[in-house]
Amino acid sequence: MSTPVFALDGVSYHYQQHAALHAVSLEIAAGSRVALLGANGSGKSTLLRLLDGLYFATAGEVRAFGTVLSEAALADEACHYAFRRRVGLVFQNPDVQLFNPTVFDELAFGPLQLGWPEAQIRSAIDASLQQFGISHLQQRAPHRLSGGERKRVALASVLIMQPEVLLLDEPTAALDPASQSEVIRFLQESQGQGRTIITATHDLDSVADIADRVIVLADGHVVAQGSPADILSDHALLARTHLLHAHPHRHADGQVHSHPHQHGHRHAHGSSAARYRRFGMGR
Amino acid sequence: MLSGDRPEKGKRMHIPDGYLSPSTCALTLAIALPFWWLAYQRAKRLLHTRLVPLFAVFSAFSFVIMMFNLPLPGGTSGHAVGMGIVSIVLGPWASIIAISLALLIQALFFGDGGISSFGANSLNMAIVGSLVAWASYRLLSAGAPLASRRRVIAAGVAGYLAINASALLAAIEFGVQPMLFHDASGTPLYAPYPLSVAIPAMMIGHLSFAGLAEMLLSAGLVAYLQRAHPALLAGTAGIRANNSQQNGSVRQLWYGLAGLMILSPLGLLAAGTAWGEWGAEDFANPAARQEIIQASGLHALPDSAPEGLARLAGLWSAPFPDYAPAFIHSPAFGYVLSAVFGAGLILLSLLLLARLGGKRGLPQ
Amino acid sequence: MSEQSFLAGKHRHHGNIAERMVHGLQQVMEHALDAEAISATPGLLQQLDPRIKLLSLLAVLVATLLASQLTTLLLLFVLAVVLALASQVSISRLYRQAWLSVLLFSGMLALPAIFMVPGEPLFTLPLLHWHITRQGLSSAAFLLGRAEVSASFALLLMLSTPWMHVLKAMRSLGVPVLVVALLGMTHRYVFVLLQTASQMFEARRSRLLAPPSGRMARQLVASTSGVLLGKALQLSSDVHMAMVSRGYRGEVYLLHNFHTRKRDWCALLLAVALPLVIVWNHA
Repeated sequence: MSTPVFALDGVSYHYQQHAALHAVSLEIAAGSRVALLGANGSGKSTLLRLLDGLYFATAGEVRAFGTVLSEAALADEACHYAFRRRVGLVFQNPDVQLFNPTVFDELAFGPLQLGWPEAQIRSAIDASLQQFGISHLQQRAPHRLSGGERKRVALASVLIMQPEVLLLDEPTAALDPASQSEVIRFLQESQGQGRTIITATHDLDSVADIADRVIVLADGHVVAQGSPADILSDHALLARTHLLHAHPHRHADGQVHSHPHQHGHRHAHGSSAARYRRFGMGR
Repeated sequence: MLSGDRPEKGKRMHIPDGYLSPSTCALTLAIALPFWWLAYQRAKRLLHTRLVPLFAVFSAFSFVIMMFNLPLPGGTSGHAVGMGIVSIVLGPWASIIAISLALLIQALFFGDGGISSFGANSLNMAIVGSLVAWASYRLLSAGAPLASRRRVIAAGVAGYLAINASALLAAIEFGVQPMLFHDASGTPLYAPYPLSVAIPAMMIGHLSFAGLAEMLLSAGLVAYLQRAHPALLAGTAGIRANNSQQNGSVRQLWYGLAGLMILSPLGLLAAGTAWGEWGAEDFANPAARQEIIQASGLHALPDSAPEGLARLAGLWSAPFPDYAPAFIHSPAFGYVLSAVFGAGLILLSLLLLARLGGKRGLPQ
Repeated sequence: MSEQSFLAGKHRHHGNIAERMVHGLQQVMEHALDAEAISATPGLLQQLDPRIKLLSLLAVLVATLLASQLTTLLLLFVLAVVLALASQVSISRLYRQAWLSVLLFSGMLALPAIFMVPGEPLFTLPLLHWHITRQGLSSAAFLLGRAEVSASFALLLMLSTPWMHVLKAMRSLGVPVLVVALLGMTHRYVFVLLQTASQMFEARRSRLLAPPSGRMARQLVASTSGVLLGKALQLSSDVHMAMVSRGYRGEVYLLHNFHTRKRDWCALLLAVALPLVIVWNHA
């Protein structure tokens, strides 16, 4: 059997006194698509940063591609560049992800850091601009981009380095529906290239589209793992982990009732109800 | 920049293009350079790879802060520069760079402060302002707990002193212009007011309104940080972790400064001569000006050579032997020398006081 | 009397402090948009190589400072007007963004010099017995003239050159890459923080029914600054991670591509000739 991309053994992480992750153990196989599902503050962003070698475990061990990921290991230049080349993280906040003054410079940043020759960088930028349909934006400043455009640039800025592993923090958060489905479509295409994709999300709607395996996090613990179908049908689990909530709402037949659900997540009580809710009128 | 119903009294002291002679611009830039270099070296040692994002975001922060128009008691309003709070949170070295970058963007992008006077503006606000703010805050807050009221007061005083030190320096830069740079007919070519006018004009506004704005902002922000992010106030203590190195740097800094203090008046003179703006005969000879005044039958002209300063100038040139070059005996030389020397002394004493305060006080 | 800047000539907004702040911050952002739009129009200055433009600006500023005759300043002023017209920058924009604010600031500052500079009296004010001197008049004219000419050229550079080009020009002219990268990022985060501040004041705007007292207004500004400071720290540490994730180890690299053409060199030659001619004239 091939080496897993990531292997975590009893990993804990503490911010100052506050514990963000408790004794997490899991393995992620090459080429798999994993969703880290959890409410805000569940520790999923922390886990992504541990996987990307930005935070380092307070206790336990993170292995990437078979070798231990530690501050000391990444301090080595060759190791640093090899790891950064293979693993890319797209941050949730575009103000964090896009720190360059223009889209062009944003795409150039990673390849320049990796020391690619200039001609290769330029052709990679051209290809990326094409692939993401952002050629017309290349001299634009990030504050002049729409939400969907920012997300495309953010993805392009990481994928230009062709990482084997793509880590995504809430890729569909704060996007309009059209941009959300665009991101999801892109992630589905990207998987065809054998890339390992790990997505932190609380968006139940997209989980089945972007993952074959779901890891549920709550308060820094892994509370469940399984296929999207199994996890999404376990309403008790989802309610317990604050991924679903219940409040009363009215259906077309005038009946008021309550049941756990997430906004925007389709469920059938008659077709009109689903439509109402999708327009935010179910509240 | 953002103004409204309240009349704006507390103005900033961004010196525009055209107020300072080319040699003053070059000199102030030359003085600023070693400070930038030292600040960069110091900050690099403390911050490693965090330096770039930290500087960029904090320059942006001070830029935005400089746009806020703070309402002042008495129905007026004023701007703060932010060197007080940035020094308190990041330490003086990072503050020097962050404020300088903000000033450069203001000059280039918003025409706020001149491009040629960027060196002077950086020296006044970013360098002297940050160092004075940091030194006085450290001195006044030495030993005080992070949540104490004394830190709020110390921050306010630090902001107030910093902005006034900057203003004084700017006033001196303005004030030496008419003396050093005028044409044959006595027309000042750059800022036209002598020290006797420039210093009071600048300082009245800064001792009151602008100083108040900086004081209120620094104090208000420290009070806010005590409630919301007390860890940030411990930051300056952290930055002083490697104390011995820092003291070494401060000593280096002082040597550098002392060297510059000695060289700068000479530089001014040399540069002035080189650019042909130096009407040596008439500036060296205030009697020539007096003649013009008398010939034109005027009696009530404002005194362009303040008595006190003239006497001070005399003091400085007195120890030079008679065979020294004539210009050393000129009152203008004395003004410059005493002004530069005075500024240097203030800086040095603050640095020394802060070091003493630091040794006694903060647990580190 | 207000400060001298490209924004000072814009109209003032009246209202409570929060409204004024929102308005003012929006003006800054609008200024950047205006500049972007103008730099994209086909004009004389827009077509010059940014490096040449930057060097030429410096040369013209030196010339402005060296000029020791008012006619020289007048000629430089005419040059600025001609360049503006050839670069699709309207006179009304120059007036609004440069001339008016310089006149209000430097003009007010220069006015007393008419009386205060000793020299030949030209005219005596009745009653006050203040003498307007020839030296006073010309020194006021020098101050105002230099400030107006410099501001006009600085505005022309800013309006005809995208900010990124100014930065890259600095880089290729030997400004350290670190400084250039810092300026690029600073500019980027100026807009992020401006937007944040603007949103915070916006949120307060509707809640301030009566004009706030001085104390309340001060608290509003101080707490907004405080939130902004917290945000700045958070941003700087997150941005650091985003940079490290893409291979950053403390060194910054930039790509730049400018092509100089014959007319660029002509422009530079003319610009550099200015200070030389001025010095030679008065040597």
